[in-house]
Amino acid sequence: MKKVLLAILAVTVFATMRGAAQPARPAIPPDLAGEWRLDNNEQDTTAQPPLGDYLGIPFNDAGRMRSDTTAESIWGTPEYQCRPHSAPHQWRGLGGARILKEQDPLTRNISVYHIQFMRSLDRPVFMDGRSHPPAYAPHTWTGFSTGEWVGNTLKITTTHLKDGYLKRGGPQTSDMLTMTEYLTRHDEILTIVTSVDDPIYMDEPYIESTTYTYDTTSTVATETCNASSFAENGGTDRHWVPHFLPGQNTALGEWLKGADWIPVEPTRGGVKTIYPEYRATLNGGTVKAAELKVPSSKSANDVAKRLAESSPRDGEVHILPTQGNIYMVIADGTNLAVSIGGDGIMLVDTGAAKMSEKILAGVGQLASAVMANPTANQCFGANCPGKWGWSSPYIGAVISAPAPARPLRYIINTSAASDRVGGNERIATTGFFPRGSQFGGAVENVGPRASVIAHEEVLNRMSAPAGKASPMPTASWPTDTYFDEFHKLPEYVNGEAVIVYHAPNATTDGDSFVFFRHSEVIAAGNLFSTVSYPVIEADKGGTIDGVIGGLNKILDIAVAEYRAQGGTWIIPGRGRLSDTADVAAYRNMLTMIRDRVKDLKKKGMTLAQVKAARPTLDFDGRYGATTGPWTTDMFIDAVYATVK
Amino acid sequence: MRTFLLVIGVALIAGSAAYAHHSYAATYDVTKEVKLEGKLVQFVLRNPHSFVHMEAPDEHGEVKRWAVEWAGTAQLGAQGVKRESLKVGDEITVTARPSRVPGEYRALMLSLRRPLDGFTWGTRAGEAVD
Repeated sequence: MKKVLLAILAVTVFATMRGAAQPARPAIPPDLAGEWRLDNNEQDTTAQPPLGDYLGIPFNDAGRMRSDTTAESIWGTPEYQCRPHSAPHQWRGLGGARILKEQDPLTRNISVYHIQFMRSLDRPVFMDGRSHPPAYAPHTWTGFSTGEWVGNTLKITTTHLKDGYLKRGGPQTSDMLTMTEYLTRHDEILTIVTSVDDPIYMDEPYIESTTYTYDTTSTVATETCNASSFAENGGTDRHWVPHFLPGQNTALGEWLKGADWIPVEPTRGGVKTIYPEYRATLNGGTVKAAELKVPSSKSANDVAKRLAESSPRDGEVHILPTQGNIYMVIADGTNLAVSIGGDGIMLVDTGAAKMSEKILAGVGQLASAVMANPTANQCFGANCPGKWGWSSPYIGAVISAPAPARPLRYIINTSAASDRVGGNERIATTGFFPRGSQFGGAVENVGPRASVIAHEEVLNRMSAPAGKASPMPTASWPTDTYFDEFHKLPEYVNGEAVIVYHAPNATTDGDSFVFFRHSEVIAAGNLFSTVSYPVIEADKGGTIDGVIGGLNKILDIAVAEYRAQGGTWIIPGRGRLSDTADVAAYRNMLTMIRDRVKDLKKKGMTLAQVKAARPTLDFDGRYGATTGPWTTDMFIDAVYATVK
Repeated sequence: MRTFLLVIGVALIAGSAAYAHHSYAATYDVTKEVKLEGKLVQFVLRNPHSFVHMEAPDEHGEVKRWAVEWAGTAQLGAQGVKRESLKVGDEITVTARPSRVPGEYRALMLSLRRPLDGFTWGTRAGEAVD
């Protein structure tokens, strides 16, 4: 009897697993492939949407402020010149759509749909049941999409999107949005219903529908983009960030001139204004919008959870292959970078002290997998060209353990913050850096350990003059310091140049970021985070201008691969793996906040008055905090204290 | 003579501007027009839009580097504008829509004239930035 039950259970589990892996679909799914012509007659598909028209958008105060203060000239910054249309707007962009299908050669099931627009990258929609990447994986302009059939409708779920806009010329979206699309074909008509769920800027998802017509005569050209690093916005400042100070954008109501029959309140958006109940407030109605109760839906997006997952503080080590020799190592929420190759291991930062053993284990395991992985036989004996020996050179790998990976050679500290240097003492002792006796770095004879490189202000922060107690043990101090604007390692490490750049007076006075020149990866340290405002330690020489300056320097070095994404990868101090556009978004945000605080301070406002003016309101949902080690209040304190 | 003229007037909507990746109406103040007279310092014939960079005085008489956005290569090519049509050092006169952002030296081309030989763009039908 037990055996029968177990067999039934096993069959049930197996059936459930199969069900989970194979999304439900009709026996013969509608064919979506082909050329499609945009056939909407709504205003913003064919003309310039008016600046400040937020009708029908369930904006909250943050979304409204962000949109009011963002300038369309942002397209002219070097990092955004070749930006494709933002995903929520893409179906409404002119130029039609092309849908291609890719099949699994064995089953002939459609494994991927590819959607292409004139101003987009190829957008794959995976139909093979794969899961979405971890939250700390990069975000792109088209995001990561998976599809499933719900009856005759293709439901597409998209995550990992960069920030952008709902419509050209104003309404902004954050990078916390998710997008769900429903594609339904009725003969020659394709209807796309899009739900944009952005809890940072909206009180409920924004829903719109767009119609396309099948058109065998149309073709989707690609819009070429030959951007250059010159500033399209004029002037000579390549780091110029166009934006409006709150209240400065006087053009928002221009489109209402001559249309005084349109009440102003709903043009500012808001969930209360988009339901029929709002009519009670019009035409002399005495009800106020704020008093209305509307049956609004809620966001399905848990921002706190997503941010936590993009910087997991779970006491564990996670590793994300980045590019070339470089891997991003997340140690209890702190990002480190590691280079692995024939020369050995180079580690950028050592994380919190409590994570040292797990970092060593994780990096060691990674190094073995990368450098000492047994390889299957690929050629044989005398027929194996270029190899010496009696038989296959791989036989050694098959019959014996591979040689261990080379040891840790270098540690680079990007600042003296505890999450950057905490593991120095333990981790450095596991390394080896040959030094002739009587010669060496800043610290005398520290034994057979890794070289620890940092800006000299890091050593100053960690040590103390003779006779005084130092804040950090001697064995954790940098052994090799530099003082200039950059420090080139004198020889290749793992086949590439490694350059350490100083970012003066950024989060502290000793900040650096590290550029791996062949792998095209930058480890940014605490200069850059995708989960919080920068931790500016004003008492240690940190300034808001220094942080912005450091980010600008990163942007000067980094290059996008294509259409303003990919290319040089930037590993932030915390949060997801990023590219130039992500760093630009962070730089833009900080520049806007810096300028706002500067303006308010210039008007004579006290710190308390500046805080009351909420100069960070539109970014607090994304980067702010009211509790924990680095709150929004502390950030504004630092900006106010150091802005010039 | 280099002059700067700011004209606030009736909006002349800048033609059919449907193909820009960014919104012209949101980028530029289509109710205003600036006149720039100065020297061409860079001509970037490219997609999605070309740019004429010129040094010309701002409203305070201070010479700035202006970036004047022009049409893409296909449109300009069809209208006879080629890479060699403009050269660095050319003295030119441009009328344009200014940026909406205070302090930004960016503008949208309405017309361009080179007094030396009478080269013009923006005066014939269809010569508006798409």
